[in-house]
Amino acid sequence: MNKTVNQKAWLFVIPVFVLVAFNAIIPLMTVVNYAFQETFGNNVFMWEGTRWFKQILLSDRFHAALGRQILFTLIILFIQIPLGIFIALTMPKEGIGVSVCLVLMSMPLLIPWNVVGAMWNIFALPDIGFLGHSLNALGFDYNFTQQSGDAWFTTVLMDVWHWTSLVVLLSYAGLRSIQPAYYQAAEIDGASRWSVFRHIELPKMKKVLTIAILLRFMDSFMIYTEPFVLTGGGPGNATAFLSIDLVKMALGQFDLGPAAAMSLIYFFIVLTVCWVFYNLMMKNEGQS
Amino acid sequence: MIFTKLYAANSWDSVAKTQEKGFFDFEFITWMAWTWQTAAFFVFIACCLIGMTLWEKKKPGGSPRKGILGLDTTRGDRLFLSLLSAAYIHLGWLGLIGPMLWVATILSFIFAIFVFRYV
Repeated sequence: MNKTVNQKAWLFVIPVFVLVAFNAIIPLMTVVNYAFQETFGNNVFMWEGTRWFKQILLSDRFHAALGRQILFTLIILFIQIPLGIFIALTMPKEGIGVSVCLVLMSMPLLIPWNVVGAMWNIFALPDIGFLGHSLNALGFDYNFTQQSGDAWFTTVLMDVWHWTSLVVLLSYAGLRSIQPAYYQAAEIDGASRWSVFRHIELPKMKKVLTIAILLRFMDSFMIYTEPFVLTGGGPGNATAFLSIDLVKMALGQFDLGPAAAMSLIYFFIVLTVCWVFYNLMMKNEGQS
Repeated sequence: MIFTKLYAANSWDSVAKTQEKGFFDFEFITWMAWTWQTAAFFVFIACCLIGMTLWEKKKPGGSPRKGILGLDTTRGDRLFLSLLSAAYIHLGWLGLIGPMLWVATILSFIFAIFVFRYV
């Protein structure tokens, strides 16, 4: 049967295109325009050429923020991915426990980000918060508003609490899709628990884990609300990740030009990582 | 230079002066702060996209192949990769060397040809 060529369906794409134009293309073009100019408001702009890019590329402040951001992302990936897989492996496979676990696991994911930040802020306050007060009562000198190590600890703990469930849910879905025949074959061969995990479960979870790592990477790399509410980037600049530093520069100092240049560099990094993961996922698709 | 005159003050001594309202100064667009340089850049991107569309019309299928990176790429992937590397080449040049940015532009074009041929 011959398919008729009819391109009219493209007209239905127009609303989406208009929407994307207004919330993505036009703002992005504006950011590009701002990145080459200086302004003091009032829609008056002075041409500055590539000055802001040079300034950002050579600025210690940007290097520090980028370093903190990469460190944070690596830490939470190294905690959340193994922890998520481990929890998924120990979750019940049938019965009422499945629903209970799944509902409990989804709870943190349903809480708005600023609420998570506010909750953890109060939870970790050294004088009245449960976590902060308990730690101090146990003899630890804990104060996340004054010690940068404590601020990092709290931010990482908050993110682990908030997002490990996502890895758990994805891994659990991957585990449930493995045919029982694989496990039976492993049992006949007398495979150890570790080899079952290494040679059956992990390869079968590869696809969902790639997606989990991508999602967790992107979310943590662009994290803003939670640390903003929890620590506000402090103490000092200790937890000022890229987006927090960017907003400080753009809105706090009204340095729109450097901030625009910084967001473009930020955008390129995110785009590159997305491209790498996209290709990894396509490769996974090709193999199965 | 029509855009520079209308949308951006040319130099620092025109900062405090009231901008004369020009033909292209629509209220709803002045905040976008267009300059002829950035406009030219986006026109170039648009031309690339139109060019790719025409190319696809002429030779449909996107000529997929497995390039030297071991990835399945189509023409669109190669354009994306060329543009992204152009951004990095320019940034690298600015950060490491500095002046004569046009050399980076030439390098980007050479690299784009390489990407379109081999990747």
